[in-house]
Amino acid sequence: MTLTLGKSATVTRALTLEWRADGSLWAVRGEEERAVSVRRCFPWSEPGRHLSLRDADEEEFAFVRDPAELDPRSRAALERALEVAGFVFEVTRVLEIEEEVEIRRWLVETRQGPRAFQTRLDDWPRGLPHGGLLIRDLAGDLYHLVEPKRLDKQSRELLWAFVD
Amino acid sequence: MSTLQQLDDYIIARYTAQPTRLPAELRREIERAWEGAPVQLYALADLDQSLRLTETWLALGPRHVAIARRDSEGWDVRSIERLRIEAVREAPGLSANTLTILGKPGEPALALLRYTHRQRRAFENIRFVLDEQIQGHARKLDAADADRLYAESIARPIRDAQALVSGRQTAVIRRLLGYLTPYKRQLTLGMAAATVITLVSLVPPYLAGYLIDRVVRPAQAGALPLTRAWTIARIAVAAMAVVYLVKQAAAHIRLRLMAILGEWVARDLRDELYEHIQRLSLSFFSRKRTGSLITRVSADTDRLWEFLAFGVVDVSLSLVMLTGLGAVLLTLDWRLGLVMTLPVPVLCWFIYRHGENIARLFIRAWRKWSRVTDVLSDTIPGIRVVKAFNQEEREIERFAGRNEDVTAEFNRIHRSWTTFWPLLVLGVHAMTVTVWVFAMPRLLGHGVQLPVGTFVSFLLYTTMFLGPIDVIGQMARTINRATTSAHRVFEVLDTEPEIRDAAEPVRLEPVHGRVTFEHVTFGYDGVRQVLRGVSFDVAPGELIGLVGPSGGGKTTIVNLIARFYDVTGGAIRIDGVDIRRLDTGHFRRQMGMVLQDPYLFHGTVVDNIRYGLPDAPLAAVVAAAQAANAHDFITKLQHGYDTVVGERGHTLSGGERQRVSIARAILHDPRILILDEATSSVDTETEREIQQALERLVAGRTVFAIAHRLSTLRKASRLFVIEEGRLVEHGTHAELLNIRDGKYRHLYELQLQLQ
Repeated sequence: MTLTLGKSATVTRALTLEWRADGSLWAVRGEEERAVSVRRCFPWSEPGRHLSLRDADEEEFAFVRDPAELDPRSRAALERALEVAGFVFEVTRVLEIEEEVEIRRWLVETRQGPRAFQTRLDDWPRGLPHGGLLIRDLAGDLYHLVEPKRLDKQSRELLWAFVD
Repeated sequence: MSTLQQLDDYIIARYTAQPTRLPAELRREIERAWEGAPVQLYALADLDQSLRLTETWLALGPRHVAIARRDSEGWDVRSIERLRIEAVREAPGLSANTLTILGKPGEPALALLRYTHRQRRAFENIRFVLDEQIQGHARKLDAADADRLYAESIARPIRDAQALVSGRQTAVIRRLLGYLTPYKRQLTLGMAAATVITLVSLVPPYLAGYLIDRVVRPAQAGALPLTRAWTIARIAVAAMAVVYLVKQAAAHIRLRLMAILGEWVARDLRDELYEHIQRLSLSFFSRKRTGSLITRVSADTDRLWEFLAFGVVDVSLSLVMLTGLGAVLLTLDWRLGLVMTLPVPVLCWFIYRHGENIARLFIRAWRKWSRVTDVLSDTIPGIRVVKAFNQEEREIERFAGRNEDVTAEFNRIHRSWTTFWPLLVLGVHAMTVTVWVFAMPRLLGHGVQLPVGTFVSFLLYTTMFLGPIDVIGQMARTINRATTSAHRVFEVLDTEPEIRDAAEPVRLEPVHGRVTFEHVTFGYDGVRQVLRGVSFDVAPGELIGLVGPSGGGKTTIVNLIARFYDVTGGAIRIDGVDIRRLDTGHFRRQMGMVLQDPYLFHGTVVDNIRYGLPDAPLAAVVAAAQAANAHDFITKLQHGYDTVVGERGHTLSGGERQRVSIARAILHDPRILILDEATSSVDTETEREIQQALERLVAGRTVFAIAHRLSTLRKASRLFVIEEGRLVEHGTHAELLNIRDGKYRHLYELQLQLQ
């Protein structure tokens, strides 16, 4: 059986990436070029590989299996884009977890600053493949607890019910 | 300011720690820079370029957008003329989105803003308006809506998830107790009975002490003649028997009255709730989960029954009992009374803490329990896939692992309460022992004298402490649970239906079926329009095919014709009368709908066919089924028309369900009929039968038919091509095919190629 790969899934060597004055990441492949954004296919299992470059219409323009296959300039440009695309709040301290009618209210310190957010009572933090917890709030923002067991005592106590 | 906006402002202030609106001084500064032009929309970019939390505002006016960054000296405001904007691009991320506003190609971006998902809806509003402008469609905005739209965009996810009811917890409890008002008599009797139980419970220990000190000991010492002692003792024992009789009679009255009263209140709540749910608009149902609404009518009202029937009385009488006991003990002997009463607050606190700890354990157990039910809800409906991929063993292991986990958690809970309660009772016993320690010397003649009878009364009273302490210790939890349920119930009751009849609604008799759209615009929120100025006039009896790409607005058009929503601009007229002036109930009786996934109710086939006309004669039901090509398969069923079709009609195939729903529509005999993808999910033979049935159904009615398979619309009087909320082409099948580069022709050719 032969699997036919789409145009976008072809070799990444011919692909170059660069940041231009318009503030966008541009992907150039032969005659074609497009402003693209990066989507990680495995944001938690393998965040650094299998990257989908998508244009403004959300069409996949190119697929980067491994950034190591790109030239150094393109790789650096891609890494900058990945920072934004993969951004989630990184929780460093849990200050409060309170239950209210139908929602759970969280107050946390993150690397980005203090943050209050809410989850549904039946939405539980999700364990990640390489350890750590991921919480999704009502608006869809994500909060990553890299090593819950290494947080301070108060945070650990508050998190106790949510960590295996 | 509307109540909804007040609620949104409250949500933003309480839950998000971000400004409830654009700072007033910044708004003034921006409007000054725009020479008085108003801010019409705004959004908060809460991430800076290095992805730290910040406060940057994007404001949109009639001719400009402004970007305002807070710096050490105030606001740094930069305005951009909207005419310079040639493209707006949004790059979504896991939690950081980037909006890039672009001018001429190749030039530096005019603005680049980063924001979390919490702000995304507000940015999408602005992006929508700019995109419309770029495409040459001016979008009029009312500056007065700016605050409302911003607040709604931020607060909505929380508002939709949470049952927020205005007022504090005490106000919610008062409102809940208001449901007892119609049953004042029963309530008064029930409370009186409960008070009698409490008061008479205090009598037996007192009598015991009295008998020992005033009868037994004086008689033993010879100070009271035996005959007199016998008489008093008989009276006292008889009194005790009467007391127990009265107590149990009162208990009977209290339990029965309060249980029945609670049931009545729960029934009233359920009725009121269900009636209100039936009147609510579709938008409410799209915001709330079905399961959550079912729970409100069932489990929440049940929990309120428990609270009203027993919680209210138990809590109030426990307080009375504890106060009474304390007073009696202190009166009998204040020294020993202090030994018993001083630790009571500590015990209540222990029970409260234990409740908190158990709640924490339960959160953990529920989390693990949800992992067990996840496996069940995955694998039982998907059992064919499990078997097809030979994954039974893996699924068994997965379930066993999670089952083991949850068992461990529940055992942890059992370890906690089975340790706590014996310890608590031990604490009460320790108080009793302390009483003995202090009492013994006094009973033996050292210190202040203590009569034996008084001591016995005292001991009997101490055994009555534990019950009320338990109730009061759990009072916070009982009230919390009840108010949570009350919030969820009241939230529904407080939601106003968005579709309301005019003061003097018009009844069209008969409805002829002319449907006119006049520059209709519609959006599910205030900014993004799903329909953008749609106009058409459909004569009675026309069959209109609505075609076009998914998400173009076809279903919205039929939803507006059925008045599930009201237009946001323009007007829809039925036989020349604005649809908003019609009696909605009467109008909907003239409408019929056949949907892609026909919904049958649990009940018999005949009940389902005459759902819209419950009194229709059986002969009419058979005629409708015959016209719908359903009669044949129905008569082959074991119980014919009396066959129970099960929940959602699951015992029938998709095509059979569809034909029953067509029979339902035929019997209903509507003047205006909507067919929404009525044949899309069935095989070719079934489709042919359904198509025949539909041809009989549509005759003589105004019909709007949505279909992706264009071949099914060949008999349409006219076809409307709807794309991006606009009517882009209309005409007969032949006319539209003749348009070179026409949208319909393109769609038609694509489908031919696929065939």
